[in-house]
Amino acid sequence: MAKLPILGLFESADHAADAGDALKAAGVPMTDYDFLTDAPYPEGAFGEREENHRLYIFPFVGALVGLTVGIMLTAMTQMAYPLAQGGKPILSMPPMAVVTYESTMLTAIVFTIIGILFESRLPAFKQGLYDTRITEGYIGVLVNVDEDQLTPTQTLLTQAGAIDVVRKDGGSGA
Amino acid sequence: MAATEAKGHGQHAGMWIYPDAATLSQDISEKSKATSSAFKTALVVTGILFVLAVIGFIARAADDGFDEIGPWGYYNAVFSMIFMVTSGAPLAACAFRFTKSHWRRPLSRVAELFSIVGILNLIMFIPMMIFLPSLDNPAGVVEGQMELRRTIWFEGPIGAPLAWDLLGVAFLVITAIAILWTSAMADMAEARNTATGFKGWLYRRLSGGWYGTKRQWNVQKAGLALLGAFYFMTVVFMHFVFSSDYAQSLIPGWKDSIFPVIYTVTSFQVSLGAILVALFILRRWGGYEGYIGKSTFWSASKVLLGITLLWIYHMFAFFITFWYGRLEIEQNIIQYLISDTYSIVFILNALFSFVLPFAVLVWNPVRRTDWGPALAGLLVVIGGLLFNIRIFVASANAAPGEKLYAFFMEHVPAPVYPDIWDVFMVVGGLGAAVFIYLLSTRILPVLSLWEVKEGTLYQKWGKLFRGEYQILGKPE
Repeated sequence: MAKLPILGLFESADHAADAGDALKAAGVPMTDYDFLTDAPYPEGAFGEREENHRLYIFPFVGALVGLTVGIMLTAMTQMAYPLAQGGKPILSMPPMAVVTYESTMLTAIVFTIIGILFESRLPAFKQGLYDTRITEGYIGVLVNVDEDQLTPTQTLLTQAGAIDVVRKDGGSGA
Repeated sequence: MAATEAKGHGQHAGMWIYPDAATLSQDISEKSKATSSAFKTALVVTGILFVLAVIGFIARAADDGFDEIGPWGYYNAVFSMIFMVTSGAPLAACAFRFTKSHWRRPLSRVAELFSIVGILNLIMFIPMMIFLPSLDNPAGVVEGQMELRRTIWFEGPIGAPLAWDLLGVAFLVITAIAILWTSAMADMAEARNTATGFKGWLYRRLSGGWYGTKRQWNVQKAGLALLGAFYFMTVVFMHFVFSSDYAQSLIPGWKDSIFPVIYTVTSFQVSLGAILVALFILRRWGGYEGYIGKSTFWSASKVLLGITLLWIYHMFAFFITFWYGRLEIEQNIIQYLISDTYSIVFILNALFSFVLPFAVLVWNPVRRTDWGPALAGLLVVIGGLLFNIRIFVASANAAPGEKLYAFFMEHVPAPVYPDIWDVFMVVGGLGAAVFIYLLSTRILPVLSLWEVKEGTLYQKWGKLFRGEYQILGKPE
């Protein structure tokens, strides 16, 4: 059965955390609910799960690619057009370092931007469930549940202190 | 009112402000939409200057073409001035985020918006690629001349210097805009449902999919840290490359490891100065007094004071090395850039980049005001402009034609004064930069809403011992 989203709005972080506790107690997997905020709250403020990401891998891979390209480009140029200057070796490091550094930086940056998009799951072309009151400081608790669990979840969120509960099907109420 | 009364005791009275997070988004949104007559006037004036810059550029191109770099010295200077500000400003946002300084919160977006002005740099750089003299001596192997002039590119790897210069400038702009986008995504997402017209379209495209989940905040934080680190590593490199290609390498025999550092320090100085001036204008006349506290000026002023001292230290180090060395080229360079040809510009440069801002910033009571650091900021911006004129006009005109391939500059050249087209390009170029900055404030809020809101979670005015103080939360 496809899961449907339901969004509870809370005035305070404490109430939102209570809702998280209630969802956990009701057996809702932690991966099925999320806290939506207008500012980054400190880790564990809502007793939420730890969110791991792999963004750091992207620039690392990018830098390796750029480093390889830079070394190959400069080395192959010097091998193809060997010019002995002032007794320096054909493959001398200082001139190679400038180009290699730049190519390493540039690919690392490109991969980081791609990583941000990928790890943030952006862009999302379908409008998700959201409420503009979150921009006023309200905290949203977004739960994905089976269709038959929508009403019990709405009750649970309301009991935890939600001032409003919004559903994808247009249903709303506290 | 979206903020409580400013707090603070005694000499720190009015230092801290505590915005109301609940009304912040709406209040800033209304301020962003409101266009005062002063703003319109500023837009018109800077728009006219922008047009003058274009006229000056076309006239210079028609008069002198792109074959020689000499006539373009003032163009290089204004490019460099804008480059210094636009490349250094985003770094201020990143650096103070790294250090987790609460006072930086109102400063972040003001700094990041300069990255949009960076697009002007990218466009301005295109003709600069055309008139940069070739690395190879066009005359080939000639007695008494170098076959290849001395640059950081040595024997000239593929694409050097133009392709690598352009790629570097372009990526600097792209990275700065990526930092702005990553930082502003949450704010754009807030407004995407209420904004209309072009703004609404843009916000929906640029922030589609952002809902403020824990994962997204974590990735944003890590992304800003990584991009900031790479930006720093790239900006310092590009300062080195640009100052080498368009200054040092154009004066035959100028070999100096300190100059690129002076260039970077000057960039950090003028960009922080420009940020402080922008903050002051926003606080005093933009209606942001309730969001930009004096503490931001106070804290930033200490950093500016430090950079100002670094500037004079590096200038002295540059001077003393050449003065003590006393090689003919070293004496010629000192005479050319410092004591003879451009001596008046140098004296004014030293006054505005060190003496005057130091005299302002050294006083505690002045640092604790909003106008003191902003005044110092304005002074260093003027100093930066004089620095760029002195260095880049002098470099472009040091060795015309084949003299560029000489082993060293044997004679001290005469100064080159600006003509009317140069004045148009310099004044107009600066106006164009301000014009683009003003337009960017219409697209994005000048305050980083999420950062200011985050600040309200961790800062409050409360009782501690027998007094009331700012109480800070430090989650990490």
